[in-house]
Amino acid sequence: MFKPQAMNKVELIIPEHEVVRTTEALAASGIFHHIPTAPLTIGIPSRGIDEWQTWTTELVALERRILMVMEELRIDEGPPPATPPHIIEPRVAERDIERLEHEAEAPIRDLEAARRRLTQLQKYVNQLAPIADLDVDLGMLRDLRYTFVMLGSIPVTNIERLESSLEHIPCVLITLRHEGHLATVVLFGLQQDAAVLNRAARSAYLNPLILPEDYRGTPSQAIAALQAGIERTREHIAEYEMEIARLQEMRVRHLRHLLWRVRASHALAHTITGYNHFQHTYLVTGWVPAASLPTLEQTIGRVSDKVVIEVIKPREEDIEHIPALLKNPPILKGFEGLVTTYGQPGYEELDPTPIMALTFPLVFGLMFGDIGHGLVLLLAGLLLAGRKIRALSGMAGFGVVIALCGGIATIFGVLYGSLFGFEDVLTALWFRPLEDINKVLLFAVAVGIVLLSAGMLYNMLNAALSRHWGHFLFNHNGLAGLIFYWSLIGLGARTFGVAIPIPGTVLVLTAVIGGIGLTFAEFFERLVERRRPLFEEGMGTYIAMAFFELFETLIGLFSNTLSYVRMGAFAVAHGALSMVVFIIAESVGNASSVGYWIVVILGNLFVIGFEGMIVGIQTLRLEYYELFSKFFSGGGTPYRPLSLVPRQGQLGASESTGG
Amino acid sequence: MIRTNVTAYAQVNATTRALYANLLTPDVWHALIQAANFDALLTLLDKTAYSPFLKLDRQLLTPRRTVYQLRWHLTHDYEKLIRLTPEPACQLILQLWRLYEVDNLKATLRGVETGASWDEVRRLLSPMVRYITVNNETIQRMLASGSVVRAIERLRHTPYYETLIHALTRYEMEKNLFPLEVALDLDYRRGLWEAIQSLKGTDRDQALRLVGTSIDVDNLLWAMRYRLYHHLSVQEIINYTMPFGYQVRDEHIRALAEGADMVTIVKRIYPHIEGLDDTGPQSREEPPSPQRQLALIERALHRHIIRLCHKSFLGDPFHVGVQVAYLMLLEYELRDLTAIVEAKAAQLPSEKLTAILESEWW
Repeated sequence: MFKPQAMNKVELIIPEHEVVRTTEALAASGIFHHIPTAPLTIGIPSRGIDEWQTWTTELVALERRILMVMEELRIDEGPPPATPPHIIEPRVAERDIERLEHEAEAPIRDLEAARRRLTQLQKYVNQLAPIADLDVDLGMLRDLRYTFVMLGSIPVTNIERLESSLEHIPCVLITLRHEGHLATVVLFGLQQDAAVLNRAARSAYLNPLILPEDYRGTPSQAIAALQAGIERTREHIAEYEMEIARLQEMRVRHLRHLLWRVRASHALAHTITGYNHFQHTYLVTGWVPAASLPTLEQTIGRVSDKVVIEVIKPREEDIEHIPALLKNPPILKGFEGLVTTYGQPGYEELDPTPIMALTFPLVFGLMFGDIGHGLVLLLAGLLLAGRKIRALSGMAGFGVVIALCGGIATIFGVLYGSLFGFEDVLTALWFRPLEDINKVLLFAVAVGIVLLSAGMLYNMLNAALSRHWGHFLFNHNGLAGLIFYWSLIGLGARTFGVAIPIPGTVLVLTAVIGGIGLTFAEFFERLVERRRPLFEEGMGTYIAMAFFELFETLIGLFSNTLSYVRMGAFAVAHGALSMVVFIIAESVGNASSVGYWIVVILGNLFVIGFEGMIVGIQTLRLEYYELFSKFFSGGGTPYRPLSLVPRQGQLGASESTGG
Repeated sequence: MIRTNVTAYAQVNATTRALYANLLTPDVWHALIQAANFDALLTLLDKTAYSPFLKLDRQLLTPRRTVYQLRWHLTHDYEKLIRLTPEPACQLILQLWRLYEVDNLKATLRGVETGASWDEVRRLLSPMVRYITVNNETIQRMLASGSVVRAIERLRHTPYYETLIHALTRYEMEKNLFPLEVALDLDYRRGLWEAIQSLKGTDRDQALRLVGTSIDVDNLLWAMRYRLYHHLSVQEIINYTMPFGYQVRDEHIRALAEGADMVTIVKRIYPHIEGLDDTGPQSREEPPSPQRQLALIERALHRHIIRLCHKSFLGDPFHVGVQVAYLMLLEYELRDLTAIVEAKAAQLPSEKLTAILESEWW
C-alpha cells in the first residue's frame, strides 16, 4: 500500500502476421503499459508502419463522418463498450458509413428544406403585412405595362447604396418596414428601365417577393394562403422529425458500435505505429506489474506461440521512467485522486495516499467540528460513495473523502459540544474553541508539529528506500532537519516555561549539530554519496550560500509550523459563523417563530456549503504546501495500461503548426 | 492620452518591432529569387523566420503544402499581436484577422460546389486556430454537407449566417458563388470600417491611413475589374463596391463604372503615385492594353500601401498603426513568397519573377 507495485520491463518480438491479434490481447489483458519507441531503422521508411499510419489517417476521417451522421440523427456516443470491440478495416468501415450516410441523408435534407421553406413563408407573410389592405392582385403589379414595381427584402445597409446607384434613373424606393438587418421595400420605376432596375436591385441583394403559384391574389388572400402553407410545412416538419426519430431508434446501436469499432481500430493502428518494425517482425516494449507477468505470458501464449517475451529487470537508468501503479484499497481511491492531482508518485517513492487518508480528515474535522454539520457531510459522503445520487456517480471515490471528513468533524463536534451551531445544548467533552481561543490555537500548532515531523520521517524513509543516505542524513527535511527542528521546539518550549526532561545545553548542542549538518548539507550529501566535486561553484560561494540557506530553512520551518495556526482559527471561525446565523435568526423572530427556524436552517446549509468548501480548500492547501513539500516530488509516470477503447480526447491529431 | 498609449503599447510595440526586424531583407529576397530550384528555395527559407514552420519531411513539402506552412508564420504573429494589443484597438486587429476566415469560407464554398474533400481543401485554407468563429470542425461539416445550401446551414450561429442566407436566394437563382462571395467581402469590409470608426485619436488616424487606404485600393480595383472583366452595369458596380473609404469617393467609383480612364482616376486620388506607366519592351510602340494597365495600377497601389506601412515605423510609435503595418507587410511578404514558390515549382526564370511581385525591396 505504501509503495507502487514492482514492475518488469517486457520486450515482445511479434511476427508480422500476429501483430493485430497480439496487440488486441495486450490491450485486453489490461496490464501492459506500452512505451512507444522511435524507429531503430532511422531514415528507412518502414512499409509496415507506413500502412498503419495510413490506417490511422483514414480511421480518423471515418470517425469524423460517423460523428457527423450521429449528430444529425441526434445520437450521442454512449458509454464505452464493456469489452473491446473487434477491429474493422477502413475500407469495410467506409462501406458501412456510406450506407448509413445515404440512409440518413434524405430525411435530414427534407427536414432542412422544410425548415427553410417555413422561414421563407414566414418572411413572405412579414413582407406582405404592410400592404395587407391593398386590394390589388399581386400578379398584376408584376405585369404592369408602363410601371415597374418590385416588392422585396434588402439588407438595411444596402438601401443607401441602391439609391445612390439609381441616382440617374427615374425611380422611387420606399421602405415599408424594418425587421432586424433586413428591410421590406418597394421599388417603383418605368417599365422601360426594367432591365437596369432589375440588375441594380439584384446587385444590391434586393430579393424580390416572388410568390409561388399557390399564393397568388390580393395581399390578404396571399397572406391567408401563406398561413395555411405554414401550417402544412409545420406538419411536414413534424413528419420528418418522426422519421428521423425512427431512424435514430433503429440505428443508434449500430452507429455507436461502429463508432467504437473505428475508434478501437484507430487506437490499434496508432499503437502499432509506435512499435519498431523489422523485416518480418515487430519489437514492442512496455512495463508490466511483476505479479501480473504470468497472466501476460498466458494471455499471449493463448494467442500465439510464436511471440517471444523477454523480461528485463528494471535498471538504474530506467527508474525515472518506470510507471507507478499505486495499490491502494478502493476506499482510499478518493484520496489517491487528491494525491495525483498534486503529482504522480515516482516508482521508487512512497505513495503519500495513506498519510493523506489519515491527515486530511483529521485536519478538516479539527476546523469543522460540529456534530450536526459533520453528520450531514457523513450522510452526503455515504450517498455519494454508494452511488445513490446517479448524476454524481462519477464522484463515488470522493464520497469516501467527504464521509470520513464528516465523521471526524462529528467526533470533534462531540469534543467541542457543538450541534448545528447550538453551543449550549450539549456539554463539551473537551472545550469550546470560542471560549478558549489560545488553547485551540496551541493545539493546532501542536498538530502541525506532529504532521511536519511525520512529513520529515516520510522523507527520510523515501531516501532510505532509494538508498540516498546523504539525503537521508543531511537534507533539510532529513535527519539533520528533524534534529534541528525538534531542538528548536524544545528550546522554545523551555523559554515559555514548559517542563522538558532534556537539559537546555543538550538541546543547544543538538540544534548546533543539526544546524551545521544543514549548513553544509550539500557538501555532506556529496561526500556520503561519493559525488564530486564537493563544491560545485567553489568553496567561497558555497559558504556564502550555505548561510542563507540555513536562514531560509529556519524561516521555512517557522512559517510552516505557524501555518497550522489556521486550523485553530478556522475552528473558532466555524463557531463564530454559526453564532452569526443565530444573531440573524433572532433579529427575524424568537425561537417559537417560523422565520427564526427558516434562517437557522438556511444559515446551517450555508455554513455547511460555504464554510465546508473553504475549510476543504484550506485542508488541501496544508496538505499540498506544508506537508507534501517535505517529502513528495510527484514527478512520476502514471501507469496507463494499453487499451483499445480510448478515453475521449486521448487520440486524434492536434493541429499546432500543421506538422 | 499620450501617456496612456505609451503604457498600453509599450510591450506590443517592442514585440512588433522585433517581428518587423524578422521580415525578409533585400539580400534574402535576392537570394530567393535567384534560387536555382524549388529545393534550393526551401533550403534558403529554412534560414529565415519561416524555418520553424517548415520543419517537415522534405517529401511532404509540396509547393502547396509549403505555402500553407509559410502561412503559419502569419497565424502565429496575428495571434501574438491580438493577445498583446490593448482594447479597443485589438478589435481592429481581430477584424483584420477575420479576413482569413472570410477567405477560408469562400474556399470552402468553392470546395462544396466542386465536391472536394476535407483533405483536398485543408491546405488551401489559411491556418487559423485561435480567435475564430468558424473552426475546422465546422468547415469539415460544410464540406460533408454536399450542397452550398446545406453548407450555409452549418454556419448558423456564426456572424456570417445572416449575410449568406440572404445572398443564398441569388445563388439559388443563378447557381453561381459570385453573389455569396461579394456579400461576404462587403460585409467583412463594413465590419472593418466600423472597427476603424470605433477608435479615437492617433489610433483612428493611423488605422484610417493604413486600413482605410487598403479599403480604398480594394474598392478601386474591384470597380476596375467589374468593368473590365465582368462587364457589369454602372449600377451593379456601385452596388458591389463600398460606400465608405479614406480618400476614394462615390464620384471616383461612378466615374470608373462609367468608363473613365483608370490611370486618370488613380492619379486624381494619389497625385504622387509611381509606377503607373509601362516600362516593358513594347511600351514605347503601343499603349498597354486595359488588362495590362490594370495589372500596373494594381502593383503601383499595393506598393503605395507597402510604403505607407514602412512609414508607420517612423515617428510616434505608440498607436495601433505599427501592428497593422507589420501585419499588412507580412501579408504582402507572404503573397510574394507564394509567387516565388509557385514560380520555382513551375521552373519560371528568375528575371520574370520580379515583374509579378508586389514588393520592391530587392
